Amino acid sequence: MAVTIRRLEESDEVENFDCGDEPLNNYLKRHAWTNQEKISIGVTYVAIDDSAPYTVLGYFTLATSSVPRDRLPKKYVRGLPPYDLPLILLARLAVDKRFSGRGLGHALLSEALQITLRVADEVGCRCIITDAYPDKAGWYARYGFVPLEGPATTSPQKMFLDVRTIRRATSFESSPAERE
Amino acid sequence: MPPAVKEKSKKATALPAKAPTPRKSKFQADLAPSEDSMVRVLKAELQMSSNTDFLSDALALFRWAVSERKRGHRILSESSTGERKILIFPRLERVAPEVTLPHVDIRWTDKELGSIAELASGQPADPTDALIRAMRR
Repeated sequence: MAVTIRRLEESDEVENFDCGDEPLNNYLKRHAWTNQEKISIGVTYVAIDDSAPYTVLGYFTLATSSVPRDRLPKKYVRGLPPYDLPLILLARLAVDKRFSGRGLGHALLSEALQITLRVADEVGCRCIITDAYPDKAGWYARYGFVPLEGPATTSPQKMFLDVRTIRRATSFESSPAERE
Repeated sequence: MPPAVKEKSKKATALPAKAPTPRKSKFQADLAPSEDSMVRVLKAELQMSSNTDFLSDALALFRWAVSERKRGHRILSESSTGERKILIFPRLERVAPEVTLPHVDIRWTDKELGSIAELASGQPADPTDALIRAMRR
């Protein structure tokens, strides 16, 4: 299976997409295109197999956002630049359950992080934030996402990954585990 | 005749300054035999006789393609059966916007703001193995 990840197109077949989570299915089918092209509140990237180039196997949605500096606790403000903190929001990430276990989630997250780094290099951003389902928080933690404090038992857990950590990762040719 | 009238008459008869004619520039290209042949075939197909017309039309087409990619639009062809092919032309990709992401507001709790401020103001963590693998091209 040769997978390509690209921006969502109007002709993409999304109606049969099923990741096992209705809100995530519904977002792709009903809102992703409108949000991307008409009201511009999120850009969706889809994974497709080159042999069936319009069937969506998985997707993620990105947007930019910021943390208002005047709402940050004063004891930390000194260590931060005197502006709102720009960030990338990884709003959604899902893989069709018929294609799970083939590394698509890794490929999608990898692309999301590559885009984050490009945005950071082009216009500047400080971190990537995601809203993880509690049972998926461990998967994001493997990539270095750190849970932010707050209620996390039933609602999605906000998780943080510093762009400087992502950039540092690009300087490694192999991971420590691979070198052993 | 009063002098004032005489001066007015002088101004009225003065010729307007002639606008400079824009210089035409020459365009010369060294083409490989295959490219030269391609130009001849295309000129014949398009029923063009002059190289100037050929270059002018090619320029108009190229200019349009550049302006579309600059706006982030993709250029594609569609067959009569609906099969689509997207044009990927490396030089055009240089003018395409890298990434355009919209801005959204996030609802933050005070605890989350404290947590993110602490993380962002501290030293960045070392990348994990999975992150290193994810960032490898």
